[in-house]
Amino acid sequence: MAIQFWRIRDRYYRLMGNRCDDCGAEFFPPVYRCRDCGSRHLADKDMPRTGKIMTHTQLHEPLPGFESEVPLNLAVIELQNGARVLAQIVDTPQEKIETGARVRAVIRRVQVDGDSGQILYGYKFVVG
Amino acid sequence: MKSKERVGIKGYGAYIPFQRLPSTEVARVWKGGGSGPNLEKAVASIDEDTVTMAIEASQYAMKMAGIEELGAIFVGTESKPYAVKPTSTIVAQALGQHYTLAADLEFACKAATEAMQVITGLVGSGMIQNGLAIGVDTAQGRPGDELEYTAASGSAAFVISKFDKDAIVSVDCSASFVSDTGDFWRRAQEKYPRHLSRFTGEPAYFFHVEKSVRKLFEETGLKPSDFTYAVFHQPNPRFPVEVAARLGFTAGQIKTGLLNPLIGNTYAASSPIGLAAVLDEAKPGDKILLASFGSGAGSDAFSFTVQNAIEKSRGVSPTVKSMIAKGTKIDYSIYTKFRGKLTK
Amino acid sequence: MKAYVASVGLEKVGDHWNESLLDLAVSASLKALDGRKAAPQQVIVGNMFSSAGARQEHLGALLASSLGLKGTPAYKVESACASGSTAFDVAYSLVKSGAIDSVLVVGVEKMRDVEPEEVSLALAMAESVEYTQFVGASFAALNGLLARHYMERENVSRDDLSALPVLSHANAVTAEHAQFRKAITPEVVARSAMVADPLRLFDCAPVGDGAAAALLVNENAIGRAKSGLVEVLGGAIATTEFSVYERKDMLRFEATEMAFRRALEQAGLPASKVGLIETHDAFSVVAALSLEAMGVSKKGRATMDAKEGRFNLDGDIPINTFGGLKARGHPVGATGVYQIAEAYLQLTDAAGKNKVKDLDYAVTQNVGGVDTSSVVHVFGRAQ
Repeated sequence: MAIQFWRIRDRYYRLMGNRCDDCGAEFFPPVYRCRDCGSRHLADKDMPRTGKIMTHTQLHEPLPGFESEVPLNLAVIELQNGARVLAQIVDTPQEKIETGARVRAVIRRVQVDGDSGQILYGYKFVVG
Repeated sequence: MKSKERVGIKGYGAYIPFQRLPSTEVARVWKGGGSGPNLEKAVASIDEDTVTMAIEASQYAMKMAGIEELGAIFVGTESKPYAVKPTSTIVAQALGQHYTLAADLEFACKAATEAMQVITGLVGSGMIQNGLAIGVDTAQGRPGDELEYTAASGSAAFVISKFDKDAIVSVDCSASFVSDTGDFWRRAQEKYPRHLSRFTGEPAYFFHVEKSVRKLFEETGLKPSDFTYAVFHQPNPRFPVEVAARLGFTAGQIKTGLLNPLIGNTYAASSPIGLAAVLDEAKPGDKILLASFGSGAGSDAFSFTVQNAIEKSRGVSPTVKSMIAKGTKIDYSIYTKFRGKLTK
Repeated sequence: MKAYVASVGLEKVGDHWNESLLDLAVSASLKALDGRKAAPQQVIVGNMFSSAGARQEHLGALLASSLGLKGTPAYKVESACASGSTAFDVAYSLVKSGAIDSVLVVGVEKMRDVEPEEVSLALAMAESVEYTQFVGASFAALNGLLARHYMERENVSRDDLSALPVLSHANAVTAEHAQFRKAITPEVVARSAMVADPLRLFDCAPVGDGAAAALLVNENAIGRAKSGLVEVLGGAIATTEFSVYERKDMLRFEATEMAFRRALEQAGLPASKVGLIETHDAFSVVAALSLEAMGVSKKGRATMDAKEGRFNLDGDIPINTFGGLKARGHPVGATGVYQIAEAYLQLTDAAGKNKVKDLDYAVTQNVGGVDTSSVVHVFGRAQ
């Protein structure tokens, strides 16, 4: 499993999506074909690291590996360039997690494979 | 030690995590009341570690420095998530740097200043243009041990480059002193370190710091009154105050860089974060003394001079003061969950 | 040619500790094939996660061989929670075109042989592993995000949303194959454990084992018996942007909009003639948005319509007549075939106490992901 995530580590570490060379639209996760104009001329690009919360939820039934982080706060975030990211919200008092709140990206441990496996790092967001 | 070509710091950044554990909490659990030598310490969240904090500080430093390529990335830490697999390559990947030296250094709390020395040499010799030195730790105290009051998490990063008009600080001179002195150590498979008690004072901390700083005075001809600021490694609030006095520095000179009471001892990041706090307010022309101490043992002492370009660095990264102010208190139980002190 | 559902077989949805995935599939198959002389010419299995749930793939051949159908073409079709209806749609195309005369479609899912966390992980495969599962978002979490967005944008309250699970449970009381046959109140829903805020336990379809089979035939394979036939008037599958948050308007179920419109066009039927809808209430919010996408309710009004009784068995347009996914159950890959079998029971007047009166046309809507795939079929009485 580590390999599947290793190959897109730049996407995780740098919030790297892609940008359509023809119409300028930016996407995260990256697309194979521009969703706006259909072009295949796409170039990797780091997304802006600030945005705001569009919707959020608090998950009480975690996926395996996320038990220590229950309840998990998740949000759909609209970044400053219009691209949307699904990510955890961390280090934020619960009452500050609301639709419209301004957020910024941080880098955190996202998954850990026990005591002897590898650690996956990636983007999460904090309010403020 | 002076480099052949002039070397400067072009960018710096620090990162202090959000959670704070009051020393009264540690005392409540282990002593039924009272407090430790510091007020609070900064604690990394459950999803933070040496890698994540190193990257956070590095991103700020790189933003301030405004340079494209790094020729070296050295991470000084004693709490790497992997015993084998360098933190520095993950930092390199996150910064998009590949044609670079990269390694992790270990020398307890002086690993970052060691990294600064090495990079100064690489830059000063002309081998590389820019290098990144990072000090970072998620220090662990054995549950119930004295050090649990202060063992904290944090990071600081410095971009060291060929000196030019954009350098915010010049690296003027450094001196190092080491000896085989086992005041504090951790065997390879152990989770927590061990240490001696009174021995960590005179024969360890004070002996080595005084040696490196006096050597620096000798090499530069400088005396304490020539410096505006002095930053010392701070395992607790008392040692740096005492060593400053012995060396001839005033309380006013060490005030800005003395952060242990509020964030505890961030180990390899301890004096580096102190330096960052000083740089947040220092003025052109100010001279800064930095003296680290690493158990095992040794000390690096530096003399820096602040340059005009420092005024352009303001507001690029959050200040150390603002990061300290963002703290939220946690209790001992949450602390144990965050820092993996509960075995399942 | 015309395509007909000639017979169905249903297993009770629930915890089948003593039956394996294959046991369930065979049992449902035999019920559907009961009394028929001619063997089906093809077998298609709809299933989502037999590898994670039973460590078994190659289900088509496995079932065909177990039924003694040597030489018969057989394979599995997978489309997350839309697997069952998708398998049916493949069969429909084959039979209507005359390429094959009779196909046995079996939807089957075994969810109880592995622990809940493993089921959660398997269901998360309906979504992006690299960008959704990676950040810890389960399938329930995605629907929680959708539910909050719906409630905030359309001013839908907790009590409003509860109307849908309450309705599903009411219908399941008299449904013999349903998993949960107890009526509930809105208070029960609102007080149940939080799963993915704002969705509570009773907003979410349960985990369960099940199998449902349907035999599709064209004129060439009807056999002597001409009763017990339901005509398949139209069918369509549509897909849309993979993850719900990638869509411009997250509350617009475009896949269902497109599949519904195309299926009705094929059937030559105006939407006003639809007499019942088996809709995909995997989560209460999904049922609401599906009904709005199909134009049954105005935007933001589905829960109000439910509260007003429009969707009751004796209402304007009954939905989930045997309890839907929430109360009849949701053995994911099998669900689509359950819906189709239930439409069949209604149109052959075999629905017992769940009968919808004066029914001419029924629609089934089955979804994979968060309306990433939508499959709609239209059924009518055989002439």
